[in-house]
Amino acid sequence: MSVLRLFTACLLLMPLAAQAKAPVIEIEIRNHLFQPEEVLIPAHTKVKLVVYNRDKTPEEFESYELNREKVIMGGRKANIFIGPLEPGVYPFFGEFNPKTAQGRVVAQ
Amino acid sequence: MMPVDNALRLALLIAFLHAVRTPLAGADGSSIDKVYHPYVEQLEWELEWRATHADRDPLSSVKRLQQHRLGLGRAISEYVFVEAYLIGTQSADDSLELEAYEVEVLWQLSEQGEYAVDYGLLFELEKEHGEDIWEASSALLLEKELGRFSVTANLGLTYEGGDDIVNEWETALAMQARYRYSPRFEPALEFYAGEDTLGAGPVIGGREKLGGLQALTWQLGVVLGMDEDTADYTVRALLEYEF
Repeated sequence: MSVLRLFTACLLLMPLAAQAKAPVIEIEIRNHLFQPEEVLIPAHTKVKLVVYNRDKTPEEFESYELNREKVIMGGRKANIFIGPLEPGVYPFFGEFNPKTAQGRVVAQ
Repeated sequence: MMPVDNALRLALLIAFLHAVRTPLAGADGSSIDKVYHPYVEQLEWELEWRATHADRDPLSSVKRLQQHRLGLGRAISEYVFVEAYLIGTQSADDSLELEAYEVEVLWQLSEQGEYAVDYGLLFELEKEHGEDIWEASSALLLEKELGRFSVTANLGLTYEGGDDIVNEWETALAMQARYRYSPRFEPALEFYAGEDTLGAGPVIGGREKLGGLQALTWQLGVVLGMDEDTADYTVRALLEYEF
C-alpha cells in the first residue's frame, strides 16, 4: 500500500496545470550580440523570452541573477521563462562569447 | 496557484513523508547521497566524484563506512542527460573496493520557470559487482524558485531484486532548500528520509567558471541522523568538472 501511496503522492504533487499565458518578448543573437541588449519587462509578471540564435554556432544564455542557463544551438530558438521579478536590472550574457554577447533585463 | 492547491500539496507531502517511513520489506542502506535538480544543460559533459562518510552504520556496526562514486556523463539532447558510475566502498576494516556499476538517465520535463514547479524524472539501474543483485530506481524531481531560494525535492521508488537478495520495494525522499547567495557560495539545508535513513543537515556549495563550457562545482555537507537506524553523522562531498 505504501507504493500506491507513493505513486499517488508523486502524481498529485506534479504541476497541476500551465499558468496563465506569459507575455512574449523576442531576442536575437546575431554576430555574437544580443539584439536588443536591453529588454524591458513589467515587474511582478512572468515573461517568456523567445531567443533566436541567428548565428551558425551555439550560444548559451546565462544569468545568475535570473537563475537561468540555456544552450541555444546555431539556427535554433529557445524559450526562457523569467519572473515574476522585483523592479531592477538583471544582467545576462552569452557564455560562449562573454565579451560581446551581453545584455540586461530591466523590470519596471 | 490557488491556496487550496498549496494546502493539497502540503497534505500530500506529509502523506508521502509518512509513506517513506513505513517499512515495505527488509530494507538496507543509507539513502544519503545528493539532491538532483530537474535540469539538463545541452552539450555538457561531466566528470563527477562524490562520496559519503558515515561515522558508524547502526545496522551493520561498520565504522567509518565510505562510499565513492566516479561518474562520466553527457547531455545527449536538450532534455536528456546520461551518466555512468563506478561505485566503491571502504570502511575501518576494509580497503576501497569496487561494489557496483550504475547507469542513470535524467529527463527534464519542463522549461525552468514554465510552470508553478519545474519537474523532471531520474531513472537509475545499478548492478552489484560479483553478485546477482540489481537495483532499478525512478525518482520524480521537483524544484520551485522562491526569490533567491530554490527548494528541490526528489521522490524516489526503487526495486531491488536478484538471486542474492530478497526482492523488495523501497521509497526515499531527499529535499534541499538552497539560498543563491553567489555563484561561488550557496548555503543549503538538506533532508533525507528512506527505509533506513532519517537525517538532515547543512550543505555548502559553489561553482567556479573556467571559461567556455568548463566549470568546477563543489558541495560539502554534514547530515545528522535523526533516528536510531541512521548514522550519527554522515559527511558528503561532491566535485564535478563540466566541460
